[in-house]
Amino acid sequence: MTLQIENLHVRTEEREILHGVDLVVNKGETHALMGPNGSGKSTLANTLMGNPNYEVTEGRIVLNGEDLTEAAPDERARAGLFMAFQYPATIPGVSVANFLRMAVNAKRDEPIKVKEFGAMLKENMDLLKIRREFTSRYLNEGFSGGEKKRAEILQLAMLQPDFAVLDETDSGLDIDALRIVSDGVNAMRGPERGFLIITHYTRILDYVKPEFVHILIDGRIVQQGGAELASELEDKGYEWVREEVAASAG
Amino acid sequence: MPAKPSPAHSAEPSASGSHAFVEERRKAALEVYEQEDTPTWRRSGFWTTSLRGLDLDTLEPKRYEPGLPELDLGDDEHSALIVQRGASVVHTDVSDDRITVMPLDQAVEEHGELVREHLGRRMPFEGDKFAAGSAAFWTGGVFIHVPKNLQIEKPIQVVWLIDEPGTAQWAHTLAVVGEHSECRIREFFLAPDFEGQALHAGSFELFAKTGAQVDVAHYQDWGSGEVFDLSTRRVDIGRDARVKWVPIHLGGRLTKQTLDIITAEEGSDMKHTGLYFTERDEHLDLFTSDRHEAGHTTGDTVWKGVLTGDSRASYEGLIHIIPKATEVDTYLQTHQMLLSPRAKGDAIPSLIVEVDNVRASHGGTVGELDPEQIFYMMTRGVPRAEAVRVLVEGYFEEVVQRLDDPGLEDLVRRRIAEKLESAKDQVREFIGERAEAV
Repeated sequence: MTLQIENLHVRTEEREILHGVDLVVNKGETHALMGPNGSGKSTLANTLMGNPNYEVTEGRIVLNGEDLTEAAPDERARAGLFMAFQYPATIPGVSVANFLRMAVNAKRDEPIKVKEFGAMLKENMDLLKIRREFTSRYLNEGFSGGEKKRAEILQLAMLQPDFAVLDETDSGLDIDALRIVSDGVNAMRGPERGFLIITHYTRILDYVKPEFVHILIDGRIVQQGGAELASELEDKGYEWVREEVAASAG
Repeated sequence: MPAKPSPAHSAEPSASGSHAFVEERRKAALEVYEQEDTPTWRRSGFWTTSLRGLDLDTLEPKRYEPGLPELDLGDDEHSALIVQRGASVVHTDVSDDRITVMPLDQAVEEHGELVREHLGRRMPFEGDKFAAGSAAFWTGGVFIHVPKNLQIEKPIQVVWLIDEPGTAQWAHTLAVVGEHSECRIREFFLAPDFEGQALHAGSFELFAKTGAQVDVAHYQDWGSGEVFDLSTRRVDIGRDARVKWVPIHLGGRLTKQTLDIITAEEGSDMKHTGLYFTERDEHLDLFTSDRHEAGHTTGDTVWKGVLTGDSRASYEGLIHIIPKATEVDTYLQTHQMLLSPRAKGDAIPSLIVEVDNVRASHGGTVGELDPEQIFYMMTRGVPRAEAVRVLVEGYFEEVVQRLDDPGLEDLVRRRIAEKLESAKDQVREFIGERAEAV
């Protein structure tokens, strides 16, 4: 079971942002995709989920053998793909609990039993140290940055996807919140699930250790390696990667 | 002239001064009605409300025998229920004997003093053809009196029913809530789906006396027939009294209404929260005003609308603070959402402040559903159509919850869901087009 990204070219109305990205995430693996601002990280995440603002001009997205390149976002979700948003939308008038129930039911033939849902919700809220009152608030309305990120990870925990993309989940979190979110993600890791953690910084990778690290610059993956690549990047910065790339090209 | 019944249709003359008062008022109003041309209302921009399509001469008051028609009012319980069908009050049931709920023409006889003190006090008809029409031609009518220091928990329900085309319904509701009393008043405006025209021209006056607390809801669902609703509603809030008013507009071929809420004395407080959902070729023209006539009064107005089909909806909300009303704190916001490429609307907040030392602010948005919200929901596995439904229902939820009445809330939610279901295809087309355009 894999998430395969093959030669992906993506453009917005203005310009091409991804110029042929290849990446394979197998179940049970955790990959980090790192890159400076504007490298195309969020474009990749949004394209994987089918955001209509981005157009795939070449290449494919294949999940568990199924080509999802043209699929609608809800089909991708039901096929087992999930993204935790960097900036999740506010959904006024819909409580966290009702939203979660709707999302859980979207993947099922029969609606989940009230008791089962309640137990699952409680377990995951405990995991993420979320207070009970939180679930009756409207989703993301008036949430702090940290609450939004926690709500994203709560959805991840409730939906149990095959593959999860975390788009800059660490940004804007203080250390305590980062630790709680990381613990939540670690609890979700296992042989049946793959992760793609998108981040600018190495901070989250101290808590959620990836097996593979990819560096994206200017819409191309320019370097790949193991966890040690992240520490090297931490020491030397993205400029070092740029120079390396320029040197090897020259 | 079938739309103009003889003013002498109502009860026999009596010695009571109130009867003479009402008859004088009818006479003066009839003169205005006959002098005034059928109006056309124009506002800035593209907006015009015209009654060209209304054939007044084919309409007439229709009389019915007493009997309780089948109704869905959300709540099963009430402290009183009064139903006017066409021109006749066909059912009155008052289960709480501390309050008075009866046809207004009966109250003219039995509660003459209260009627004379309040009737028309906030309802001038000079220069207003249909306010004059309602003052001249009302039949039956509704009178509500909650004496002072009472807590009436179950709602007082008033139903205005039009169930056949050709009907002219001239309406008047007068409600007086005594000092420090609490009650809930719900007025329903209902018609089955029929073919042909009808008119409802109504006046609603509520006086909330010192310290009273009144929850008012107006629920309008005239169905798919050609019902024209030309009404004026005014709420007068006395010292330290509070009124929460929730008008719900869910249908009518053409609606032209003025809704005024007046904080008339020191310390009065109002919350005015409305919603509308227009579809097909419906035309809705709402003017609301939050009028502060005294100092230390507070206001909070929120209106939200959705437009589908070829409908037109215009909402104008005014905050008016008169010179002596200092230390006012009030706020108005209006939102409008288009769900069809052919629908057109506007939402205009405005402000007249004639005094210093007040806080008054307003804001408004006119827009479409946010594609980012739809995308977000879809990434959670929710299909597009359901995402749209949930987002529109969520958008209205703030208003619906202000009803604070589970039965009525469910009725409103159910009707909105039905309307969204029947607009599904055009919404999909509209949202889809826009999603692909970005």
